[in-house]
Amino acid sequence: MAATVPFKLITPAEIVFDGEAELVIVVTTEGEEGILPQHAPLLAALRPGVLRANLARESATERLELATRAGFVQALPDRVTVLVDEAVRFEDVDVTKTREELAAAVAAADRPEEEFAQAKLRLTGH
Amino acid sequence: MPTVRELRDRIRSLKNTQQITKAMKQVAAAKIRRAEAAQRRAQPYAQTLSEMLRDLAAAVSVVDHPFMREGKVGAPSGVILMTADKGLAGAFNSNLIHAAELYAQEHAGTRFYTVGLKGRNAVRRWGQREHPTWTLGAGKLATAREVAARTESDFRSGDVGQVVLISSKLISMMSQRPQTRRLVPVVKDELAGGEAARAKGAVEFLPSPEFVLSALLPKYLEFTLYSAMLETDAAFFAAQLIAMSNATDNAGKAIDSLTIEMNNARQAAITKELLEIVAGAEALGVE
Repeated sequence: MAATVPFKLITPAEIVFDGEAELVIVVTTEGEEGILPQHAPLLAALRPGVLRANLARESATERLELATRAGFVQALPDRVTVLVDEAVRFEDVDVTKTREELAAAVAAADRPEEEFAQAKLRLTGH
Repeated sequence: MPTVRELRDRIRSLKNTQQITKAMKQVAAAKIRRAEAAQRRAQPYAQTLSEMLRDLAAAVSVVDHPFMREGKVGAPSGVILMTADKGLAGAFNSNLIHAAELYAQEHAGTRFYTVGLKGRNAVRRWGQREHPTWTLGAGKLATAREVAARTESDFRSGDVGQVVLISSKLISMMSQRPQTRRLVPVVKDELAGGEAARAKGAVEFLPSPEFVLSALLPKYLEFTLYSAMLETDAAFFAAQLIAMSNATDNAGKAIDSLTIEMNNARQAAITKELLEIVAGAEALGVE
């Protein structure tokens, strides 16, 4: 079994995930960053994107995939913490609703780009 | 002296009132539990956020962010007044509004932002009809984001020289107090939490400490507002619980004293009737 690191994913409303992970992949403003156990201290800003983690399970590795809003990641040798405004598991994404939101966002073309990007993110995941 | 019928009507109406206040008390008790649970759920986020800020404050020697600089000299204070949307909670809202009034007296030209309908109405009465305003109720996170964005842009443009928050602090279930604190500009020592920077070795910042800090500070403002909203919410229900519990007790006392009065009145009427019968019988010469 691969080495693991305690990993927490926190939003203002709840702790979305709290457990052991073998690998955490986040999308920072500079690009994707894979974090393994024993990572050097790091504090990075995240842009809206997909957060992936390989979770430690007894038999096989389980994959955790979530669409997240902008936030931050704090990696220390002995733990990884991700703070985001909102995180949605892939299976919880309501495709019809998100598609409608995207359509509304596109219709309001003069709106800030961020909203469009977020709607797109929720729909496609990247 | 009121008649028996009048007293009975008043007792009945008081009993109805008592039932309503009792129901509101129970609702408040249930809601305060929910509000406290929401506060607890926000705790991990708060801790991690301030931890990150602490690391940053320790790592960045010269902080150059508008939030860290003193605001424009001579610009008015911006005050975020947080109240509940509803009343029936004793002096809860008026205490907060009074705190805001005192602040405005000391700082001429204060500009208000209000969260909560009661605060909105008060500020409108003071003549600021078109001030930015939100409700405390639904969608707290989205509201916090909007308030933070609005105050941030007003601070950056120099429309306000500082941002002050007046919200309720829940000291205990029995006691809530208005709290006035300055949110912006942020004092670096506050971020450090007074604690000596822990030597954790060099932390790498992506893309740069300045960038992370400039992203974290608005987040910090946003989250401070969010948790203040949660606390004000919880404090409101605590105040309402007490107010309604007192109202129920007072209604009970009034019912008791009116019941005694009613019994006296009934007894007096009976005695009077008896006297009249006896007097009538005597007049007729009945032995």
